[in-house]
This record gives sequence, structure tokens and C-alpha cells, in this order.
Amino acid sequence: MRYAAADVRKQFFIDMFTRDISLEECVLDLIDNSIDSYLQKHSVSVSKLVFEPETANVGKGVGTVEVTCNEHQIKVVDTCGGISRHRAQDEVFCFGHSAGEELGKLGAYGVGMKRALFKIGNNFRIVSRTAEEGFEVSFKLDEWAEKSEWKVPITFIEGTGSERRAGTAITITELRPEVELRIKEGDVPKNIFEDASNTYPYFLGNCVRLRINDDDVDPKPINLGELNGVLRAANEKFEHDGVKVKLAATVAPGQRTSEDAGWYVLCNGRVVVRADKTNLTGWSRDFASFQPKYRSFIGVASFESDNPLNLPWTTTKRDLNRESTSFIKARALMATMTRPILTFLNSQYPAESTTEVADIRDTVGNVKAISFNDVAAKPSTGFLYTPPKRKEKKFEWVRFQAEVRLLDKVRQRLRRSSMGAAEIGRHVLDHFVKTECEE
Amino acid sequence: MNRVSSSYRVQYDMRPAKQAERRMIMDALQRLATAGFAIEDYQYTGFGAIYFVDFILLHKLLGLKRLVSLEQEPSLETRVNFNKPFSCIEVKMVPASSEIPNLNREIHHIVWLDYDGVLQKEFLLDIHSALTVLSPGSILLVTVDVEPPEDYDYKNVDPSFDSAAEVLGPKHWRKYFEHHASSHLKVGLTNSDFGKSELITRTTEVLKSAFNRSIVARGEIEFAPIFNFSYRDSHSMLTMGGMLAGRTEKRKLKASTLSEAVYYRDSFDRPPFEIKIPRLTRKERVYLDREMPCPDGWVPRDFNLSSDDVLHYRDIYRFLPAFAEILL
Repeated sequence: MRYAAADVRKQFFIDMFTRDISLEECVLDLIDNSIDSYLQKHSVSVSKLVFEPETANVGKGVGTVEVTCNEHQIKVVDTCGGISRHRAQDEVFCFGHSAGEELGKLGAYGVGMKRALFKIGNNFRIVSRTAEEGFEVSFKLDEWAEKSEWKVPITFIEGTGSERRAGTAITITELRPEVELRIKEGDVPKNIFEDASNTYPYFLGNCVRLRINDDDVDPKPINLGELNGVLRAANEKFEHDGVKVKLAATVAPGQRTSEDAGWYVLCNGRVVVRADKTNLTGWSRDFASFQPKYRSFIGVASFESDNPLNLPWTTTKRDLNRESTSFIKARALMATMTRPILTFLNSQYPAESTTEVADIRDTVGNVKAISFNDVAAKPSTGFLYTPPKRKEKKFEWVRFQAEVRLLDKVRQRLRRSSMGAAEIGRHVLDHFVKTECEE
Repeated sequence: MNRVSSSYRVQYDMRPAKQAERRMIMDALQRLATAGFAIEDYQYTGFGAIYFVDFILLHKLLGLKRLVSLEQEPSLETRVNFNKPFSCIEVKMVPASSEIPNLNREIHHIVWLDYDGVLQKEFLLDIHSALTVLSPGSILLVTVDVEPPEDYDYKNVDPSFDSAAEVLGPKHWRKYFEHHASSHLKVGLTNSDFGKSELITRTTEVLKSAFNRSIVARGEIEFAPIFNFSYRDSHSMLTMGGMLAGRTEKRKLKASTLSEAVYYRDSFDRPPFEIKIPRLTRKERVYLDREMPCPDGWVPRDFNLSSDDVLHYRDIYRFLPAFAEILL
């Protein structure tokens, strides 16, 4: 038997591999690894973080992740537990996971860190210490690319001796010229800051504290709303292929800008798609196109699995795999959940304003925040608006434009030249009621 | 531009073909009940308007007690409630799109989206919602008008259309269908595929595609066709329907006597069962009924009626309504 060469060429691999991911997404991949370390070390349940954040991580302390991003280096240093020597030697630097490997929650494909390193620079130093042991890996990409073997040199070092300080530091220097340029343009640290704030609302503060260039990143929460007895959120849930799916859609409390409106998709608690208003989540396909009048709409779709490969995220964790069966099932429900909410929001803007419309607008304005857990705990149901019971109205405004000529006629007749227009209106109404109506 | 609610336009209880269709649907439901489906416990959700004809049949003939009528026209609310024939009917003033997601997932449903208009995007989305949430064993029926879209329908697609200057034709009807159902239309269709007589075929294709696509997300559950009627009282109409069926339901369907029913359609690829109301006098009907069901080839001796007409009568005489004037 003869064979044709079918090897992977390192340089091709490095160049191709980094094309479809942005610099910011690469840094988030490194942050994912830090958070994942924390989750694994402390056995924190993602489900609890999303649905019962108050009790998810009591008494376990908070890990720190410090990101430095400037034109000389990108550095991510955490105190999230560190990587064992065994994992460093056999797993961490491989591309893709092996069959028996213990999987984390946020690392699906086993490519994030390597791709980030290749994308960002040429010179890498990774130092990681658990309390008991540590290792260091340093290499230059250009030198590594010339060698045919796929190994990286590793040195064993001491552990920290303390669980609290155990963690990993990744430093990338000799940045690629294009990365250096982008950082010099000035937006990158700010983008990472905002992306992280939007991506980790269920992790920040609950299990890790994240700082980017010395600034604390606060989580940007996803707010669902209900109004007791008047407005009920839609919720659906199912399990498919080892993926637990929970969906909620409703009117958001106090949400007045289109930017935050749309569907949010979480994979193991990480926000993969934020405020989506495209046909990915059904807009313009399964229901109407987004318009500013729908700005109060909010939907959250949570996909959760012990095997992150079963989740519908793509390798960049910024998009969804439309061929995922759990996502196909979820999307069908998302459309069914969304339509009544759009009909409801639409009814705020009829041709003629009525008291019913005023009720709907009041409801949208008065919706109160409710947790994802409180929505998801109910049996599956659709969105429901029950118009509030109306108290009998005692007063109503009467406003209209009157001809000055006619008002003057009344003033003349009553011999009161300074009588105001409102007073004339009241007088005329009283007069009609007195002379024409039965009291 | 909106069309007037059909409650104002159509004398629902006086449409013989529609009534024959309702009776065939009742017949099918009876057969399903015999096959082990607990039809009596199903919830019926439909558009009762002010006549509630389907509701009366379902309650009186089949014993359904959970009955929900959806009405969208606010000006009809008092009349709908006034005309509600039984206390077990709940009237909800909401569109189907809002009610479908709130249907109880724990029970079985019969949902009849009995639209009186020509095909619209909203209808297809309602089908999607229903097939997404209904439990296996539930039945979904959809009725649409298959006449060419009229000026008021077309104005929603092209507001600049001037009915005084132009007459609607296949070109416009194609545009109408493309606007409402482009992703469900076959590729390569031309204007002539949207001629008046073709619209029933186009509508059938679109509804079939909507059923098939909407059920995909349900995995093992399929949409098993049962009904495909075409009929005409004043307008040509099309009703398609079937059951959300998992393995158990499919087995029960197969074991039922539905396959003996002349109207049964287990595939939407077969032409619809055409309900044609024979033009017969009361005296002729009484005469024919005495011979029913007749053997093949039988024709009446005392008046002329072709063998084909007799066979057609034999197919549907059990379902034909008889109208008479009553003086109230």
C-alpha cells in the first residue's frame, strides 16, 4: 500500500486557525479558561449561578482575573486554582479534547487558549501553580513553527502552598503588528471591558472578580419583567441530547432603548448572543422584523450541559450553530413565545388612543424585575396580559381649540371680559347639563 | 385596508358545503374516539363567531366540554357572548397567536384555525405555534379562502396599487403569495402558476410546507394528515388538517376505521376531497336516501341522474344538511 502525505502544516494551521476570531474574542477565551478553572476547583454549578445566584457560591470566596492589554503585551493573571502538571503535560496544549478528558463548562473545543496565543503574538509565557505543584511553559511561535514536532517545552516549578493564591498567568509579548495597531487605535481594552460585562453577568461578582487594565468590570444583568396579575412572562423548557434548555420571554422592566432588546442566548451561563434582533433568533423569519416599538422585548434562552460540545455555540462562542438540534427545537418555541409579546407591544400604538391603550402603556412602564429562576420555575406557558380591572373614572380632560370670536361672544354675553377660556368651557358645560340633562 | 369581519358578511349556519365539511370532521372524530382517542376530553379551540355551529356539534354529538372561542373583533364582543349557546364555552377576545402558546400542554386539543381570508403570513405563523406546543394526539385544522386575493388584501402588499387604474391578475396574485409565503413556494414558478384555478394548488403546497416544516422541531412527533377538503359555498375554500402523532398515535390511527371514510386523506399529495353539494330537490333526496347506500351502477328509475352523480351522492349523503324555514 502506498500513501500520500496528508500532514497538517504548522504555519498554515497558525494562519488559518486565527482568521475567524477577533482579538477581543480571543481575550475572552482566556478569561473563559480562568472562570472555568474556578468552576472546576470549587465544583460550582452553572445551573445554580444562572438560576439561584444567591446560593450558588456561598462561602467559597471569589477568584480574581486581572487582564492587562496594551501595545506591548496582553496578560491574563488569575487566582482561580491553577492547572495541574498532569493536565499541562497531557491535555492543555493539545488541540481538541481527548476522549477521557475531564471537561470544563466554558471550554468546548479545546482550542481557545492556543488560538488566542497564535492570534496575539509571538512570545508566550504561561506560569501556573496549584497549591501543591506548578509548571512553566515559554516558547516563541516562529521558532516552534519551524519544528516538525507538535510539542512545547515544559518546566516544573513549585506550587503556591496556598489555595487562595493558586492560579495561572499567561503573558503574550512581541505582539503581531496588526494586533499592536489595533490596540494603538484605542478601542480594544474598552471593547474587552464591555464584552466581558455583557458576556459574564452570571459569573462576575458571584465567582470571579474581573479587572481590565485596573478597572473593575461590573456585570450587566439581563432583566426580565412581570406585573403581578397583569402581565406574565412566557417560559418553556425541555431536555434534548443531554442539553437542558430553559427559555423565557417577556417585557423588560425600564428598558427604553432598542440596543438591549432582543434574544439573549446563554451556553452554560456564558452569554453567546446578546440582544439579538436578526433571523438567527427568528426575527424577520418566524415573526416580524425588529422595530423600535419592540424595544421593551426581552428573551433569554439558556442551554446547559455537562458536555460543552453538545451546546449550540460555535468555536468563537459569539454565534450559534444553526444545525444544532437543541437550538432548532428551541428556536421553534422562541418564535411561538415572541409573537404574542410583539402583538402586545404593538397594541400600544393604535390609530386612536383609548383607555385600554393607556392601560397597556402603563403596564409596560410599570413592569417589575423578576429573576430567570422565578419565571422558569413555573410550568411552561405563553405570555399573558390580563387588562387591569378599571376603576370607574370620575374625571376626564376636555381639551379642544375654540375660535376666539366665539369665546368673545360668551364673554360679552356674560359681561366678563377677563373670563379665561377654561372657565368658559366649564360654564358652557354646566349650562348644558343644567338646562338639558336630567340630574 | 381591512376587510369586514366574516361574522358581518357570512350567514355561517346556512352554508351547506361548510356544514357537510363539519359533519365529516365530526364523523372522523367519532371514528378516532372509537379507536381509543379520548375525544370527549379534548379541548376545542376555534373561531365560533356569533353562530357557534362547530361548537354545538362538538358539544352535542361528541360531548366535548372544554370549548374556547377566539374572537378578535372588539365590536362583536357583546354579540358573541349573547349568542354563546352553552355555559361551558369560554369566549376569549384575543388573536390565535396569543392564545396558542397558552394552551394547556397537559391535555389534548382540537384547534381549528378556521380563517375566512386568503392565505397570510400570520396564518402560517399560527400553524407554526400550534405545532410547536400542542401535545401528541392533538388535532390541528386550518381553513383558508382560495379565491384570488382581492383589492383590500393586495393593498397590504402594495399600498400604491390603484384599483381604479388596474385590475388584479396572476402577476399580482403571485406577488401576494411571494409576500406572505415566499419561503414555502416551490422554485421556478411563473405568473401563470398563479392563475385563479391554480391558487388552490399553490395554497395546498404552502400549507403542506408549513405543516412539514413546523413539526420538524418536534423530533419524533409527525403531523399525520387526515383532512384535505375543498368546497365552495360562495367562496372556494380549503381545509387541511391532521394529528400530531408520535409512535402510539400513529399506531392507533392506523388501527382506526378512518381509512374506510371516503373523505380521509392520509397524504396531502392526494387531491383534496371535493365537497360538491348536489342540486337536488327535497323529494329527490328522500327518494335517493331510501336506496342508500346503493350498489355501484345503480341509477334512479323515476328521474334522470347520471351514475357519477349518484356515486357522488352516495359518498356524502350522510353528511348533507337539510335546510328548512322555521317561523320563529
